[in-house]
Amino acid sequence: MSEWTKKSPLEWEDYVYKEVRVIASEKKEYKGWLLTTDPVSANIVLVNFLEDGSLSVTGIMGHSVQTVETVSEADPRVREQLAHLFTSADCKGYSP
Amino acid sequence: NHHRSAEPPSEKPGERRQAEMKHLYGDSAPKILAMEAAVQLSFDKYCDKKQPKYWPVIPLKF
Amino acid sequence: KAPEAEEGQSQDPPELREQRARATLRERYLRSLLAMVGHPVSFTLHEGVHVTAQFGATDLDVANFYVSQLQTPLGVQAEALLRCSDVISYSFKP
Repeated sequence: MSEWTKKSPLEWEDYVYKEVRVIASEKKEYKGWLLTTDPVSANIVLVNFLEDGSLSVTGIMGHSVQTVETVSEADPRVREQLAHLFTSADCKGYSP
Repeated sequence: NHHRSAEPPSEKPGERRQAEMKHLYGDSAPKILAMEAAVQLSFDKYCDKKQPKYWPVIPLKF
Repeated sequence: KAPEAEEGQSQDPPELREQRARATLRERYLRSLLAMVGHPVSFTLHEGVHVTAQFGATDLDVANFYVSQLQTPLGVQAEALLRCSDVISYSFKP
């Protein structure tokens, strides 16, 4: 399948905070700031900043990733915002 | 007792997993293990309680 | 391919750097899953199928998504499991 699932954690980490374009199965295309790649499933998490100031988070399944290319390098302001996303304060009260 | 030493040293359940996690995540292993346990527990609880069925019934892709 | 000289951590053994990277990536991913709990999520599946549902949980390998109030083309299913292999992507607003 794709090269993406076979990358090493250090290679995945290289893309963190960068703006990337991901081509996935069935010609789906995604663009956004890369927050993380799950080292278990190779799922990619992208963040987009919407015009109304809110965020949109997209997960792309590792098995469907075909190519990942860097669109722009990490921007310090974006890096700052992404670094604080989903930190412990957001996870309080997690239980079914 | 009569056990021969040919038996492998008794391995506590989870010990192998812990070693594996340590190998993968180093010093962060306990933290990751704890988060994973929370995630899995939540999933198991839902499945036990709600008995969800797969949708769609037949996989879209094999 | 790239030479090992990179930033300040270059003196650490590669194994340690890899463990650290893996842990950071995994923790962030798990946190992103936790942040999704209780939110409406839209899923893009294979064969051009789109559904929305309330996210509940996944298993460790992210092989299955447990969701509730799944809006399917044929109506609402109160709870369901989506197979990760059927899914191309999912998105939500935190």
